[in-house]
This record gives sequence, structure tokens and C-alpha cells, in this order.
Amino acid sequence: MSANNEPNIVAFLCNWCSYAGADLAGTSRVHYPSNVQVIRVMCTGRVNPLYVMNALQQGADGVLVSGCHPGDCHYMEGNYYARRRLGMLKDLMEFVGVDPRRFHMSWVSASEGHKWKEVVEKTVEDAREAGSFEGFRRRQIDW
Amino acid sequence: MDLEKLRETAAEVVAREDVKYLIGWKNGSYGYRVAPAFIEDAEGAAELIFSPLCISNLSTYLTLVEKLPLPRGQEPDTRKIALMVKGCDSRAVTQLLVEKGIERDGVVVIGCPCPGMIDYDLLAEKYPETEGLSEVKWTDDGFLVIRDGEETNVTRDELLAEKCRLCRYPNPLISDIMLGEPVETWEPAEDKGVEEVDKKDVNGRWAYWEEQFSNCIRCYSCRNVCPLCYCQDCILDRLNPTWVNRAVNFSENTAFNIARAFHLAGRCIECGECERVCPANIPLGRLNRKMAREVRDKYGFEPGLDPEAEPFQASYKPDDPEDFIL
Amino acid sequence: MTDKPKVGVYICHCGINISSTVDVEAVEEFALKLPSVKVARTYSYMCSDPGQALIKEDIKEQGLNRIVVASCSPRMHEPTFRKAIQEAGLNPYFLEMANIREQCSWVHEETEEATAKAKKLITASVAKVRLLEALEAKEVDAEPAALVIGAGIAGIQAALDIADAGFKTYLVEKTPSVGGRMAQLDKTFPTLDCSACILTPKMVDCASHPNIELLSYSEVEEIGGYIGNFDVKVRKKARYVDFDKCTGCGECAAECRVANRIPNEFDQGMGKRSAIYLPFPQAVPAKYTIDPENCLYLSKGKCGKSPKCQDVCGAEAINFEQEDEIVEFKVGAIIVATGFDPFDASRKPEYGYDDYPNVITGMEMERLVSASGPTGGKVMISNGEEEIEPKEIAFIKCVGSRDESVGNEYCSRVCCMYTAKQAHLIRDKLPDANIRIYYMDVRAFGKGYEEFYDRVRRENVRYIRGNPSEIFKRGNKLVVKAENTLTSTPVEDEVDMVVLGVGLEPRAEMRKVMDLLRLSQSPDKFFLEAHPKLRPVDTATDGVFLAGCCQGPKDIPDTVAQAKGAASSALIPLARGKVTIDAQVAEVNEATCRGCGFCVEICPYTAIEMTTVNRFGHEVEVARVNEALCKGCGSCSAACLSDSIQPKSFRDRQILPQIAALGVLK
Ligand SMILES: Cc1cc2nc3c(=O)[nH]c(=O)nc-3n(C[C@H](O)[C@H](O)[C@H](O)COP(=O)(O)OP(=O)(O)OC[C@H]3O[C@@H](n4cnc5c(N)ncnc54)[C@H](O)[C@@H]3O)c2cc1C
Ligand code: SF4
Ligand code: SF4
Ligand code: SF4
Repeated sequence: MSANNEPNIVAFLCNWCSYAGADLAGTSRVHYPSNVQVIRVMCTGRVNPLYVMNALQQGADGVLVSGCHPGDCHYMEGNYYARRRLGMLKDLMEFVGVDPRRFHMSWVSASEGHKWKEVVEKTVEDAREAGSFEGFRRRQIDW
Repeated sequence: MDLEKLRETAAEVVAREDVKYLIGWKNGSYGYRVAPAFIEDAEGAAELIFSPLCISNLSTYLTLVEKLPLPRGQEPDTRKIALMVKGCDSRAVTQLLVEKGIERDGVVVIGCPCPGMIDYDLLAEKYPETEGLSEVKWTDDGFLVIRDGEETNVTRDELLAEKCRLCRYPNPLISDIMLGEPVETWEPAEDKGVEEVDKKDVNGRWAYWEEQFSNCIRCYSCRNVCPLCYCQDCILDRLNPTWVNRAVNFSENTAFNIARAFHLAGRCIECGECERVCPANIPLGRLNRKMAREVRDKYGFEPGLDPEAEPFQASYKPDDPEDFIL
Repeated sequence: MTDKPKVGVYICHCGINISSTVDVEAVEEFALKLPSVKVARTYSYMCSDPGQALIKEDIKEQGLNRIVVASCSPRMHEPTFRKAIQEAGLNPYFLEMANIREQCSWVHEETEEATAKAKKLITASVAKVRLLEALEAKEVDAEPAALVIGAGIAGIQAALDIADAGFKTYLVEKTPSVGGRMAQLDKTFPTLDCSACILTPKMVDCASHPNIELLSYSEVEEIGGYIGNFDVKVRKKARYVDFDKCTGCGECAAECRVANRIPNEFDQGMGKRSAIYLPFPQAVPAKYTIDPENCLYLSKGKCGKSPKCQDVCGAEAINFEQEDEIVEFKVGAIIVATGFDPFDASRKPEYGYDDYPNVITGMEMERLVSASGPTGGKVMISNGEEEIEPKEIAFIKCVGSRDESVGNEYCSRVCCMYTAKQAHLIRDKLPDANIRIYYMDVRAFGKGYEEFYDRVRRENVRYIRGNPSEIFKRGNKLVVKAENTLTSTPVEDEVDMVVLGVGLEPRAEMRKVMDLLRLSQSPDKFFLEAHPKLRPVDTATDGVFLAGCCQGPKDIPDTVAQAKGAASSALIPLARGKVTIDAQVAEVNEATCRGCGFCVEICPYTAIEMTTVNRFGHEVEVARVNEALCKGCGSCSAACLSDSIQPKSFRDRQILPQIAALGVLK
């Protein structure tokens, strides 16, 4: 968490639906919390579940993965693979004691600017409740 | 199991022209030790044993064989490797087939129906190891421990290994040769280990694993012994990119353990080797079994049963659970 | 590439769109302190010519080799800036964009927070840009030829257009003649042109066109390759008639020992044909075909003393030894035009289609009113006892459409109009008949359709709103049981004949084509287009296009329009002679690949294959990506346990530093 006690969120968005949805939120001037940083990938299928762990380890208090609704994937099936993999990761992390409020996944289409705002608000709120994840931080972060 | 029959069969197998060697178990050098045996002839076959001490999963050797560079012109030795398997081990073989780690006609699988193995730690605690070689045999309702000629009958409950209490597949699911009759399966016990962690709240679980992972010395034994961790170049060893730093501290240890458990989700066949070899006594089996349980309950999938199955991590169903999605 | 990264960061004001919320000067100052950053600038409109010139100049003068543009969404201007840096001599893929407008200045109100976020996003972009690799979009030659599968009106039209543009076109039709369903129609709504009159010339054209190779009575067996370079294998089924010798005189059919005994598919089984046959008089090619299942000689080994057809054929064209032939060729693009099947009315048993001869389908009605049909165009029907001229005629619409009980929720789009058309044609022939149409809704959406519907209603055709629940027999009449939902009165209507307005379904055997071309189905089971609105003729497989009813029910004008659309899309690679292969594709590290094949299972485009390589004398299997098929989604890489397959520009070693960079700054 930053000095002002705000959680730090890393979000992985697929290029075709959720990233476009987040862009639409912008064009529609929908306001939402600023503590979500987006990393654009072509498809949620690209999101290696270990990215989530890696982000939490490297300074994120919460992680969000968002993609096209089932059936709408630009690459037909990528989001289905992502759903299975990340669902398993979520189970594993919960078992290890990572607060489930630290990781969310959502379907946000290119036309759902408002949903994007809601998803961000929920993710930020949850991460805020879960608190800073200093306990898991890497000692030295290089990039 | 009839040892004569085992040795006879093994001798026949290794005599075959298309078989390179046979991997089985033999007595170690002292106490309860059992060692892997790589048998090439009848003489070696005479040393083979199958007893409640043969807990190790030998299938890991199938992919450990190093393929050394060959001098130009030399043909690789493509003869089969024969392997003795218990029920759990056989699932590793099947999973390796699914993942193309081995070829079906590259192995001769010798199935050993398994009445259940002994937990070494429990055994040594109650009946300390002696310098001489000790033996353990199956009896109708337990084990017979023979130390320095002294015989003790022990109940099954007293010494049975945890993975065997939970076992649902004691009979090999894949084999070319089956030694003896299938054993009667038993009602798997409740997984108390997983439940113990499960019933804690989220902070309790974190605290629990924090204590465990802090002990990890990152020896990588768990990975190396695992029959399914057979990447030649494991991502957890790499520096570019660095998934896990080499530093041994709680953060990196946790990252390592999460990554290991995740890579095995939907693949782990619950042979329990990781936990057995861990010098830090980290209950790694709990992580793996928890995932196996989720995969079975939520996705209806069990690895290592069907060599034709789609790999779990490389497939999906349109109606996979998504209640976790916002 | 091995040069040390020298990054330039360009921060756009976007007029005041960004700068009114983000303190761009502070961001510039911050960026200058980031590792590897040599230059940081702000400008009012980065995308404008002077803005781009700024970047280009710095690349040349300051030796920058990586560029970060912090401005609007990459979905907006990534191509613009790629082109700009390429013009300055840099690899276009050495660019990373930080989206500080759509995802920052426009969505956050406070300058402090927006500025802080902009700094983070730029840090992450710098982290990634340093590690990007030079990529090159490859071009491969495209085979200047096309394959069209299915020769209904859609396939014929598409083939003619491509051939007219000057490209070789292979037109593969499964049945002995081209024409498809349209050839079976009598007149066509709403203009009532005679179907044969407008279709036959096109059929003849496609058979005689110098650029079209018509492969009738043939099926595609194998398709390999990718856009620009498909390898096609077609099986030409044996006709047992020498194609070149047959003059189409028809002596054989007249003399055939089973003449007029085999239900004629073209007449929906209402007429009869011989074992050697021409499907219909205007068939193209006008060559006879022996149906091996019904031919006595081919099925039983004996046809009298000697096969009759052989005896009478003056051209000596009959050849019982003929075998299937395999033809192979290469094409650059493929159009699928395999059409539809009419809904099988037996699946609505309450309508008694299997029980009563005077319950017929719309497709059968087309043949019954056709002058070339089994009755010569006379509307005669058996009521189970005798052939009669029906007086009371009922149509039922939406049979097998908009009906969840048979699994078809969609509207078949032509039944409203063809029912109206058929009512009109019957009215012409039987001025005194009483005609009523049971309907749920009337959808007359096309050009001239509403007018046509009005005209038919004025011709004393009664429209009754209600979906009949049952048809049963009473004496020599059929009783249609329904509820008139407008008056809420139950109806028991005694009629002589019922016509079921059956809907359109995907071809029963479409699976094979689907597998050959890796196509998918939409929920209605028709072929799935790449995008329902913007790419209605494309498929997920590059270079493969859809035309006609195989993509969804449609009338002839829409079918032709789509065929022309598909033809022009298919012509793009052919006319260019080249196809560009995206550079951001996946790549396998063969040294670390463990050969598990997970990636192969996953790739939705079957872009990955296992190949055997020699690793120090040992044969090992590793994955290999076909760059022409890969779309760079990266789904494979997230499943690869050894990280051996990675999409370029989105590699783990490019993304993990991005994650780290976001974490450092709090
Ligand atoms: C009863 C009825 C009346 C109609 N009346 C009218 C009307 O009046 N006006 C109007 O505009 N529309 C009408 N329609 C709609 C019209 O029939 C269609 O729009 C049109 O026929 C669609 O043409 P198509 O080429 O897409 O498909 P089809 O005509 O079905 O042609 C597909 C062709 O592909 C071939 N084929 C299939 N699979 C393969 C394969 N695997 N390999 C090779 N070849 C294959 C088939 O043999 C066939 O020749 C009517 C439809 C029906 C059912
Ligand atoms: S065996 Fe135990 S100590 Fe060694 S790396 Fe694995 S978990 Fe850590
Ligand atoms: S998933 Fe990875 S290791 Fe397996 S075949 Fe593909 S590239 Fe090789
Ligand atoms: S990136 Fe996507 S399209 Fe390319 S090989 Fe991997 S899964 Fe297939």
C-alpha cells in the first residue's frame, strides 16, 4: 500500500474486450479509483496464473484479470482456458492463506464501460479490506 | 507377493532383447533401507524385493535418464525400460503417457498390487533402526517387523503411510505384466491433513504455511523426486525471466512452493514422494492433495487414470465453474 | 538489438485532454530519471505531424532505439506511431504505449492521483520497451487460385466473380449437378421470376468459364496449409459414365431396368428416376451418373443378360470399371457455400407428415407447382384414398423454426415469404381453392416483401394467427387443430391438404467441412462468422470465407450479396499475390521444450505441431509454430510448464519486468 494507505492493484486485460471496455469507460468519462494499473495482453489465455503470484510478491495488494465473456473470446477459447487455470490458482492461493479478496477475475466486454468501473471499485474495495500484503513481498525488486 | 515369481518374471523380462534394464526395489545396506535396483540380468533379478518398505515411486527414473550426447554415427539405445509399479506409481506412468514424457512401447510396466506401505518415520520411531538389515512383511491384518531376528506383529493402522490410508487405486491401472492377484481396495480415510488446514480461517492458513515455508531450504528435492516434474530446464531455476529469486527467504520460498503446487494441479497423482523426501518435513502432500480434490470435485477430473485423457491444464469445458468470477 | 537501450519518452498533452488532469511537466521530469531513458518530452499533440517529427528527429539525432509514447490508447494510435518510428529507421515493434488518456486523465479527477498513475504506467512501459525485440512482418506468396465448396447459387456466384476477376477457381459440388436448392424452386419471391430462368444461365456459365474448373460429384477430402497456400485434395466420385463420351442423350435412362422406380431426390422423392440419371433436365454438367446403390449391375453384380444402359449407349460411355479419382491442387483462398437442409418435418410428429400423404413440406410444394415437377405443375394430391385436386388448403409456418422443442430458436427468414409465394401460385392455378395460412408473425422485411405480402392477402388468402397443435384425419379430410390467438377461439379446420412451412437447418453433413477447415458453429449450428457485424463473411481461419445459407438462413438476394462479399474478400490475397503474416506470433524454444504437447491441444488455430528434432543424436519431439496460422493470442504459453513457447512482444521476460516496475513505485 502506498503512503496514503491505498491498495496497489495490477490488472491484466485482454486487448479485445476488457481493455476496450476500459477505454470506453474513458471515452464516456466514467470516473473510478486510480489505483488500478493495467497491463495489456492479447488474450486472458495469455495470463500465466503465476503472474498473479508474481504481482502480489512484487508490490501488488490485489490482482485483477479481465477478459471477454465466455463465447466472445477474440481467439474463440482463450478465456475458457484462463477461467480454468485462474480458478485453480484461486483455490490454491486460498488454501495457502492468501486472502481471496486479493484476486478477482471478471468478464468485461468492449461495451461495458460501466461494468469496468464497478469491477475496479470492487477490486479496490476488497484489496483495501484485505490490507497491505507486505508479508509476501520480495525483498528486492529489480526490473 | 510371491518373491520367487517376481524374480523369475524379472529375469525373463531382462533377458528379452528389447529390454534395456528393469527398475525395481532391493534391500538397502542397513536398517529398513530399500534401494532402487537397476537390473540387467538374472543375477540382479534375484535381489529384487517387494515389501511394505517399497514406498518410493520408481517411475521418476523414467524421465531422469540423461540423454547424453552421442558420438556421430552412434544410434541411440531405444530398448525398453521395465519398471515395477504400485497403484499410485502406475498413475504416474499413465500421466507421463498423457504428457508424452514417455512412449507406451518404450516401457514394460510390471504391476504390483499393493496392500499399503509403511510410514518410515512412524516405523523408526517405534522400532528404531538397527545396524543390521531389518525386514517388514505384510500379514493378514497388518505388518510383521523383523529386526535382528526378533519378530513383532503390528496392526495396519499403527504404521500405514498417510498416502496409503487415502489411497483409492492400490492396484496398478496400467501394466504389461501383473504380479499376483489384485488386492481388495479399502475405504479411503478422511484427509485429516488437508482438513486441518482447510478449517483454519484465511489468516490461520497463511500463518500455518508461513511457518512451514520458512523452513524450506530450497534443496529442490521435492521437485527432483517428482515423476511429473521432468522439465529438463525448470522455470524455477531460470534467471531470465526470474519467477523466483534464488534467495532463501519466506517470500521466495512461498513463491516457489505456490508455483510448484500450481504446476502439479490436475497432474499430481498423489504418490507422496515430495513430502516423503522433504528434509524440512513440510507437508507438501497437503498442497497437492488439496488441488487434486478441487480438480476432482469441481472439474470432475482425475489425472493418471486414462492415457488418452486430455491434459487437464490444456483443456477446458464450457461449463467449468465460474462462480468466482465477478 | 544488442545495443544498449536508449529510450525516449513522449508525453502527449492531447490538447488539454491529458494535461488538464495530468501534470505532464512533472511526468516528464520523472521519466527522465528512469533507467535507460535518454529523452523525455511533452507536446500538445504527439500524433500530429510535428509531434511525430519530434520523435523522428530524436531517433536520428539522439540515437534513441526504443520509444514510449504516453498518450491515448494503443488501440487508437499504435499503428500511427509504429509507422512513424519505422520511417525514422527504427524497427516498428520497438514501441510501447502508455495509455494516460482513456485509462488515466479521462477517468480520474484529481491531478495528484492522475499524475501518480501516469508515472506508474510510464515506468511499466519503459520496463517493457527496453526488452522488446525487433520483429518483421513476413510476406509469403499467395497461390492465385480459389476453391469454392458447394455449387448452389452462393457457390456459383462466388466462383463466377473470382473467375471473372481472372483467377483460377475450383468449384467442388457434391451432387452430380450444380444449382443447389435454388434449382428446385419454382418461382422466386417477391418478383416471381422463374427460378430456372435466372439460375440456368449462371449454371451454364460456371461450367463453361475458362477460369472455372468444375468438379461435380466430388468432395473435398483433405485441406492443409494456410491462407495463401492451401493444399487441397478432392475425391471425384466414379460416375460409371465416361464424362467425355456421354452426350447426355438419355437413351440409357429410358431403357434402364429399374427405370422410373427410384425416388428422385430433386423432386423430393415425389417423382421417380432410373438408376442411371440426370438429376433434372437442366442439370449442369449434362452428363449421366449411375447411382451404385440402385444399379442392379453394381449392387447385385447382374443386370439381366447384360446391362441395358451399356447396350443402348451409342457413345459407349458406360464404364462399370471406373474408379474414384483424387485430384490435388493449391489455392490461396477458400469459400464455403455448402447451403442448408430443409427441416425434417418428421421431427414434429403432431403434424402427421409421416402419416398422411396430403401433409407435405414447402420444399415439396415447390416441386408440385413446378411445370417441370412430378405432376407437370398440376396441383394434385392423394388424400390416402384417391388423387384429388385440393379445395381446402392450409399452410403452417415456422415449422422447425423459432421452436425450442426441436432446438431451433432462430427464424428461418424465408418461410414467411415462400409460403406467401406458394399461396399465390396456388391461387393462380386453383382460383376457387380456399387458402389459409397459420402463422405466429409475418416477417416481410426485404425489399418488396411487405408489398408482396399485401398483394397475396388481397388475393383472398386468409391469415390466421395461431400455431396449430395437431393434425389428424377425419373421414377423407385432415383436421387442423389450432387456437386463433387474435380472437381466442379454438379452431378445428377441415382441409384437403396441409403445407408445412419448414425452416432451414445446417447441412446434416457439415461436420466434415468443419473439421477440414477448423470452422466453428454458432449456437444455431450454422457456421460461425468471425464477427457477427463487421466480419460476416470471414471465419476464424484466415483465408476461409462463408457464403449463403451455410452461415445462416437467408433468401436468394442476401445469399448472392454475401457470395459477392466473400468473393471480394477472397480476392484480396489473390490479387495482392502475397499475404502478410503477423509478426507477433508465438515461438518455441526447442532446447527447453519437453514435448508434452499441451500447447498443441490448446491452440484454437491448430498452429502448433509436434516435430521430431535431433538432440545430440537422440530423436526428441518438440513443438513448432506455423507462423502463418498463429494469431499470437498466447494461450499456449500460459500452459507451457517449461515456458518454452512464448508470444513475441508478450514474453514472460517482457511482462514480468512490467509487473515489477508497477510494484516498485508506490
Ligand atoms: C421451400 C423453399 C422455398 C424458397 N423460395 C425462395 C424464394 O422464392 N426466393 C428466395 O429468395 N429464396 C427462396 N428460398 C431460399 C433459397 O433456397 C436459398 O436462399 C438458396 O437456395 C441458398 O443457396 P445456397 O447456395 O446458400 O445453398 P444451397 O442451395 O443449399 O446450395 C449448397 C450446395 O452445396 C452443395 N454441398 C453441400 N455440402 C457440400 C460438400 N460438403 N461438398 C461439396 N458440395 C456440397 C450442395 O449439394 C448444394 O448444391 C427458399 C427456400 C426454401 C426451403
Ligand atoms: S524438498 Fe522441502 S525443503 Fe526441499 S525444496 Fe522442497 S519443500 Fe523445500
Ligand atoms: S507446452 Fe511447452 S513444453 Fe509442451 S510441447 Fe508445447 S512448447 Fe513444448
Ligand atoms: S499464440 Fe495462440 S494462436 Fe499462436 S500458437 Fe499459441 S495458442 Fe496458437
